[in-house]
Amino acid sequence: MSSGITKTVAILLILVVVFGLLTAYFALNPRVVEVEKPVEKPVEKVFIRFAGWSAGETEMKNYEKMISKFEQKYPTIDVKYEVITQMFHENILASYGAGVAPDIFYVDTSWAPTFIEKGALYPVSDIASQEFINQFYDFLLEPFKGKDGKLYGLPKDWSMLALFWNKKLFAQAGLEGPPDTWDQLLEYAQIIADKTGKPGLAIYLGGFNRYVPVALSYGAPKPWFEKPGDEAWFDRPEVKETLLWYINLYREGKIAREKAGKTPYVVQPADVGAGWLGDAFGKQEVAMVISGNWMIPFLADQFPDFKFGEDWDIAPVPKGPKGRATMAYTVALGINAKTEHPEEAWKFVEFILGKDGQYELVVKMGHTLPSIKGLEESPDMWPQHKKTLGFKYDQVLVFLWGPKSGELEGKISDVMAAAMRGELELDEVIPTIKEAVREVLGG
Amino acid sequence: MLKFKFFSSFTEKASVREALGALLLISVAVAFNLIFGYFSAFFAVYLSFFEWDYIGPMKFTGLKNYEIMLNDLLRGIGGASYLITPFYTGLKNILIYTAIVVPIQTFLALALAALANQKIKGIQFFKVSYFLPATTCPVIISLIFIWLFMKKGFINYALSFVAPGFQPDWLNDKNYVLLAMAIVAIWGTSGHFFVSFLAALQAIPREIYEAAMLDGAGPIRRFFYVTIPMLKPMITYVVVMGLIGALQMFDLAWVMAGSGGGPGGSGYTIAMDIYNEAFTRLRPGVAAAKSLFLFAIIFTTTYIYQKKYGGGVR
Repeated sequence: MSSGITKTVAILLILVVVFGLLTAYFALNPRVVEVEKPVEKPVEKVFIRFAGWSAGETEMKNYEKMISKFEQKYPTIDVKYEVITQMFHENILASYGAGVAPDIFYVDTSWAPTFIEKGALYPVSDIASQEFINQFYDFLLEPFKGKDGKLYGLPKDWSMLALFWNKKLFAQAGLEGPPDTWDQLLEYAQIIADKTGKPGLAIYLGGFNRYVPVALSYGAPKPWFEKPGDEAWFDRPEVKETLLWYINLYREGKIAREKAGKTPYVVQPADVGAGWLGDAFGKQEVAMVISGNWMIPFLADQFPDFKFGEDWDIAPVPKGPKGRATMAYTVALGINAKTEHPEEAWKFVEFILGKDGQYELVVKMGHTLPSIKGLEESPDMWPQHKKTLGFKYDQVLVFLWGPKSGELEGKISDVMAAAMRGELELDEVIPTIKEAVREVLGG
Repeated sequence: MLKFKFFSSFTEKASVREALGALLLISVAVAFNLIFGYFSAFFAVYLSFFEWDYIGPMKFTGLKNYEIMLNDLLRGIGGASYLITPFYTGLKNILIYTAIVVPIQTFLALALAALANQKIKGIQFFKVSYFLPATTCPVIISLIFIWLFMKKGFINYALSFVAPGFQPDWLNDKNYVLLAMAIVAIWGTSGHFFVSFLAALQAIPREIYEAAMLDGAGPIRRFFYVTIPMLKPMITYVVVMGLIGALQMFDLAWVMAGSGGGPGGSGYTIAMDIYNEAFTRLRPGVAAAKSLFLFAIIFTTTYIYQKKYGGGVR
């Protein structure tokens, strides 16, 4: 009992001594007792994440430059640029699953319906002014519209298919200009192979989106697969005819020709030791490819001695009996619906997609085509790109086959590739494609 | 007595402290294992009963995901095209691949280890050479082999001397893709298992060999009646690890055959189908169901093997 009292007294004494010492210290040290000036609370910075894939080091550097300009303009916003080089959309989806999706990211047309339908994207039309939206080409906005009519992304740029032809190989084969029809394309490819010993045309094995312009130019309606039964598109006579024609390009142009001991007139890039169509064309291993505007900066960068105008040129995609059609490809910037900073994210999107942003990132770089009207008149626009914009088409179809575009493109292309390699009989092609499509839509 | 009591309480305290220290040291590894191993495994089981799109809430669907998987298998068994039966195609391919890879890699690793265990001049160089592939990234190995397996690549060039006229298009012919992948896998993994066998070989007591020699056993008899039985636990380990690795193969196929499995889908594997199911078809629930099926195959195979051959000389 007594020891308890002693302990309490000791603690009290210690407290008194400490208090006394502190009081003495503060009394003797006037600096401490001075009234402190109110410190300005630092302005809280908002941090947003922006994810995209990369079209090369130059593009990355340009983005970084634009981001630093943006941060100068808006000092309270910090942007972290994240480049995802592989499996971009798969990565984004996984990051949604983990709850760490970026605030702003690229959205390809083939993935747009998936993201919109699942409520992953913020409706930018709720935040953007109508005046800003009106600057964009209407047909490029379509893929990013939800069923509620709202816009869930704005296109950052676009590209379309065109025919790239090698002037030197054409001259060697005695041909004066590019083919104008699909039949001529085949005929010219054969002539070039026979006369120059180099394949006339390179295509991808599969590649449903590369085939669609053929179907459209033969009168087929736009393919759209939303519900089971929509696969009936493949039963249309013009589709059957053109699809088998397209598949036979490789079966007859490569496989049968090689069996007969002749130079193939149609190949895939790997057959000529190339990684993709642009590579095959740039190496001058083939005379023609149908590809998009993305090939233009690649050729300029990788094959500087292979000159536009002198050695190669661009022509419209060949036409069919019912007109001329091409495919357009676009990618939007979308804002994460769950972002904590929609206002700041929108400021960034507006900055990148506005006239100044697109001038720096699209026009000057010469990567693709600007998605807002008027910029094509810029003197800095590359002549190759300008030329593609001058072609007249009856239909320009944006790459989108319905809510499950990406998966459908993959499935249909796999069947087409198998048929092109000769693993499927021609009469099995349409039923197999229909079954694959039905499964995707029914699933 | 008092002394003894003091001593006992001291050891108790020490063991508690030791146990705490040990727990602290292993806690990081345990935490990682719990989160990335066990949690993921149990979450996969849970997920297999749900429909999910990564973004919205999960929807309970009972056994629907398993039904989708079984339908694929049944259609494949019924002879449907590989283009519409990816799971069946992946399963068929991976079983063939495993049947090629596991026996050859085990035998090769054992043979290399037996060689390396001899007292030969410069054996260290061979040991390093055998093990080197095991230290290289499989993706890099695949890329190098793509180049070697090209129609006009080095392998066909070498074949033109060994078997004139035999010039397969390894990566574009559906009959050879799986074989090409198996060759790369055997080359890449034998070195790894070679080290395990070598360690086991060196642990066999010399006395047993001496006793066998006194009994008149020659080198071949010694190998079959002493070395092999003594290596049985290690052979079991190598086969089990080989089975697990082969049945889960993803990287080689992804690089060498492409995400669709290459010509005729002949390079498509179950692991690739699980990936495609989760990220292309956006059905993580079905992917989880397929993962559990793969787990069941791996578990059953390794369990049966261990049960039958696992009880070796220790």
